[in-house]
Amino acid sequence: MKIIRYQNSPLYNPATSFTGLREEMDRLFDAAFPTLSSLQRDGGFLGEELGDFPIDLYQEKDAFVVRAELPGFRKEDLNVEVADDILTVTGHQKTETKADGKEKDSNITTQERRVSRSISLPEHIHNDKIGATYENGVLTVTLPKLEEVKPKTIAIEVK
Amino acid sequence: MNILTKKEPQAVAKTTPRRTVVPRYDVRENTDAFIVTAQLPGVDRSALETTVDGENLTVLGRRTWTAPSEWTLLHRETALTDYRLVLELDRRINREVIRAELRQGVLTLTLPKAEAIKPRKIEISG
Repeated sequence: MKIIRYQNSPLYNPATSFTGLREEMDRLFDAAFPTLSSLQRDGGFLGEELGDFPIDLYQEKDAFVVRAELPGFRKEDLNVEVADDILTVTGHQKTETKADGKEKDSNITTQERRVSRSISLPEHIHNDKIGATYENGVLTVTLPKLEEVKPKTIAIEVK
Repeated sequence: MNILTKKEPQAVAKTTPRRTVVPRYDVRENTDAFIVTAQLPGVDRSALETTVDGENLTVLGRRTWTAPSEWTLLHRETALTDYRLVLELDRRINREVIRAELRQGVLTLTLPKAEAIKPRKIEISG
């Protein structure tokens, strides 16, 4: 069984996760007793109350992959940005629904939601080769790692 | 697009069922129908089953993502669960014309109201 150390995770930021130790205990608890956790949180996760969305981060041989669960957006509502090895995913959506009045001008309800999360990546990535797809409500961002620069051998003539 | 299928009891999934959770959903009502919106991220159209069986409407959505062969997990927040939602249909619903639509992980079920319960104006004679 693999224990995932959240302390070293790039997404763990003690400054924002004020529950800190309690979160850590929740996670260990969930891993040990999965059925119980589903009763508590109904399939959601701790950040959901904050208007956040769940993110997975894993690495393959040559790239990092970020999967974010963002159901119900359109592609144009999602924004993926990378700056200085920090990936920011933003979703912004406005929906207008007409109430059911058949005569006159019906009431229009406007709902707006905006979610955003930033992830700092463990290694340098190749900014030009980042790809992102949005399918079934899951945004998948592939970030190829920057190849290590090979040290150049410089020949020095000793006079 | 109507993707509602009536499945026979024998047509069950061949894969081992995973733990299921109830997805986030809400129910709204307008004059003609009830609208159920359920959040099912990661569920592909082929992995969604919507069945009407007696009293109940059951929605089963499987997350089909599998981990790549060589990978290191750095951080996980999603759960390895499938979604299951069971709604009781009473006489208010006209179950012959239930519609289901799945777009980007959001399932919208339109449950039209039976004619009998729609408000009708009664003319006063005399």
